[in-house]
Amino acid sequence: MVKNPYIPTAVEIISIRPESEVDYTYRLAIDLDVDNGQFVEVSIPKVGECPISVSDFGNDYIDLTIRHVGKVTNQIANLEVGDKLGIRGPYGNGFPIEEYQGKDLVIAAGGTGLAPVKSIINHFYRNPEEINSLTLLLGFRNPANILFADEIAKWEEADHIDVILTVDEGDEEWAGNVGLVTGFVEQINFTDLANKEVVIVGPPIMMKFTSLEFMKHDIKEEQIWVSFERKMSCGIGKCGHCKMDDTYICVEGPVFNYTKAKNLVD
Amino acid sequence: MSLNVKEFKKNAYRITKDRGVTALRVRVPGGHLEAKYLTILQEIAETYGDGNLHITTRQGFEITGIPMTMVEEVNKKVAPLIEGMEAGIGVDIGNPEDGYPAAGTRNVSACIGNKVCRYAKYNTTKLAQRIEKNIFPNDYHVKIAVSGCQNDCIKAHMQDFGVLGMDLPVYDAYRCISCGACVKNCQKRATGALEFKNYKVVRDEDKCIGCGECIAKCPTNAWTRDASKKYYKLLIMGRTGKRNPRLAMPFLEWVTEDAIIDIINKTYDYVDEYIDRSLPKEHVGYIVDRTGFQVFKDYVLDGVELNPECRVAEHIDWPGYKTNVSNNFKKVGK
Amino acid sequence: MSYRVKRSEFDDILSKLQEDYKIYAPTRKKDKGTFSDTDLVLYDRVSSLEEIDFNSKTKYSPKEVVFPITQTLFYFNGDEYIEAEDKGEKVLVFLRPCEVNAFKRLDKIFLENGPQEDIYYKRLREKVKFVVMECTEGFDSCFCVSMGTNETEDYSIFIKVSDEEVFCEIKDEKLTEVFADQESTDYTPEFIQENKQQVEVPALEDITTDLFDSEIWKEYSKRCIGCGRCNTVCPTCSCWTMQDISYQDNENIGERRRVWAGCHIDGYTEMAGGHDFRTTYGDRMRFKTLHKIYDFRKRFDIDMCVGCGRCEDVCPQYISFVGAIKKLNQAIKEEKNNG
Repeated sequence: MVKNPYIPTAVEIISIRPESEVDYTYRLAIDLDVDNGQFVEVSIPKVGECPISVSDFGNDYIDLTIRHVGKVTNQIANLEVGDKLGIRGPYGNGFPIEEYQGKDLVIAAGGTGLAPVKSIINHFYRNPEEINSLTLLLGFRNPANILFADEIAKWEEADHIDVILTVDEGDEEWAGNVGLVTGFVEQINFTDLANKEVVIVGPPIMMKFTSLEFMKHDIKEEQIWVSFERKMSCGIGKCGHCKMDDTYICVEGPVFNYTKAKNLVD
Repeated sequence: MSLNVKEFKKNAYRITKDRGVTALRVRVPGGHLEAKYLTILQEIAETYGDGNLHITTRQGFEITGIPMTMVEEVNKKVAPLIEGMEAGIGVDIGNPEDGYPAAGTRNVSACIGNKVCRYAKYNTTKLAQRIEKNIFPNDYHVKIAVSGCQNDCIKAHMQDFGVLGMDLPVYDAYRCISCGACVKNCQKRATGALEFKNYKVVRDEDKCIGCGECIAKCPTNAWTRDASKKYYKLLIMGRTGKRNPRLAMPFLEWVTEDAIIDIINKTYDYVDEYIDRSLPKEHVGYIVDRTGFQVFKDYVLDGVELNPECRVAEHIDWPGYKTNVSNNFKKVGK
Repeated sequence: MSYRVKRSEFDDILSKLQEDYKIYAPTRKKDKGTFSDTDLVLYDRVSSLEEIDFNSKTKYSPKEVVFPITQTLFYFNGDEYIEAEDKGEKVLVFLRPCEVNAFKRLDKIFLENGPQEDIYYKRLREKVKFVVMECTEGFDSCFCVSMGTNETEDYSIFIKVSDEEVFCEIKDEKLTEVFADQESTDYTPEFIQENKQQVEVPALEDITTDLFDSEIWKEYSKRCIGCGRCNTVCPTCSCWTMQDISYQDNENIGERRRVWAGCHIDGYTEMAGGHDFRTTYGDRMRFKTLHKIYDFRKRFDIDMCVGCGRCEDVCPQYISFVGAIKKLNQAIKEEKNNG
């Protein structure tokens, strides 16, 4: 019998880790064959389902970093370790990590956009020999919204990783950078342009203007990768919500090269 | 000249401010007429009158400037119109060449109704004509208007009897796509009788006024109307006038057409029993004021078969104002 | 093989067919129309010839047969997920050629698009056989000839009804038995060759992203009211949304359903947290128009629109889809002239 693609598998939560006031990372006990940047459909029975990008994964777990902002995710907030979530997937294409090997990779992430790229960062953190250099340009709305602070600190200490961390609005205790991600693009080392690959993930407006900023520094469209977030019901190209032009974000995306992404109009 | 004024007025002619000059009130039951009748009106106006027509608030015509001496001839001229528009719908008119046999019970007016309008729930002209057939000719002073829906474009609220069309909504949950059009619209434009439960819509029967907006807005026909019968709201005893102008109030909701006809017929018996015959005329609303609503209600509902969906007013407090209470005003003076 | 059947005998044939099939056809629901004292013509179960309305265009398409408006996908019972069962009933649908072609479009989405087939669609779809009703006159708003959907070869029975007789061409051998006693004839199906409306669909290479910003769409921001009727009556609109419910008498038990969704209706693109995309009705009109006559073809080599004209029939704002395509053609022409 063909497996019903719409029926989730009940998966146990093995840990819950607060990342900010509204973001939590749930580690689920499941062995999934995931690519960096793919997403899963997460269910709470009798409440609903929503697409969540996989923020990290291992042989017997996946991590989902979830912001409690909607009907389903607000319910997830009530769950504890040992409770179960319904999981379908993984879906979508993920980042072409092999194309980044040996390159000077720049990852610009805004807010929760860091979640889908975190596993790439950790991959190159663990495997420095696979990459020439890694620059992270991470922006958050304010210091309280900073995600994965421990891991950012860990990345900052790595010799082969440069981290530029900024917040849109600082507070009294914040001594770091203040300003939009776009304003910090010029701090990146733009020598050896041909060897660069740039991954940009965040809110639509952030991706658009950050891409333009990189192109001002002669980064070619082919060198830029973005990840889209759209309303989805099915994750498998049937429900229609995520379609843009002839492209289904859930099937051909969510990761697109800029040459394609620029032609996807809502 | 010598004239029996009472008889003259019953013949639908007016005593005007110009001595010897009258005006004929032409009834248009349901406010709808074949255009061919306009040539009769034109001919009378140009031959006997002053060449003008006045359109009345009750959807009739008044042919002005007719010498009283010409009334017999005018009655003969207007006969085909009376024949077509009154006898033609079953009104017992007598000899049409004698003109109108009564004028007390006024023309039954109607909005354009569902012949044309998307909101109307029924053919208002047909109902107006059915009522006309039941109550005309009659000398008692009763005003009736029928509106296709609760927007009440005909101002049925200003009548002794006002009839408004209602829809009893029927919901097919399977066809509902949760678009929210009905719920939002009911909230904004009606009474907020609809809400979502489990993504499907639940109707609060007590709040629902049967306006049918949900049916009109539904993009899947999940909402349809109960087509087994027509439902109406019957308003009673609204009026203008010198003593106590007021809007008519709901007497029955979700009532059927047959019951309305019975109630209107019984109202004429009620008037006959309770009217103050010392007055030249007494409007039905003032009679109800004297007897009290309960007497009226018991009288007109006696023996009337009401459908199970029908809801009957327990008591009615008419709004409006008493014109003799003038202490709200301060004279400007000098 | 073609047969000539007396009308009076056709109900016997329907009865025999009903032993194996549920029969759906255009049928008239008295006084069930949106406006009072109007009828609603739609696809529903029928059991006699008299119930079938051969002369009206249904308000809604036959897509409900394979894509129900509300469909339970599975049930929740604690942590268990129980697939909604399929009754497996076979279905015969009386429909027009454009509507058979509409099923091909639905097939593309539900069976070909994405990594897996939609099992709920498939299990209904594979039980459906078509009885095509001859349609040589069409209706005022039809433009199937322009869309190339006026003809079809995919049917089990082709049927033409006259005052006295019913002519049937039977392609499906499994159904010939029912007609065994009938007189054979040389009836050949005919298809409409010219509609009252014609429109030329633009070439794929003529559509550029520049046209997305065209002024032509802005007009629709002022005209469209986002009611979604064009979506719900469309035979090829295939979008849906998932809904979870728990039963009121036992909250541990519930179900996940899907219901139709429409790109003109508010909320279609709204994500958790409130971020929304096509917020203007002009953008939604552009999205729908291009899907129906451009990007679906880019993906599947056929246009999605089958030219049935229902969207025009039902639009309370008198928006014509043919009119939209013509405006698009004009915009393309202007773009080229300026270009």
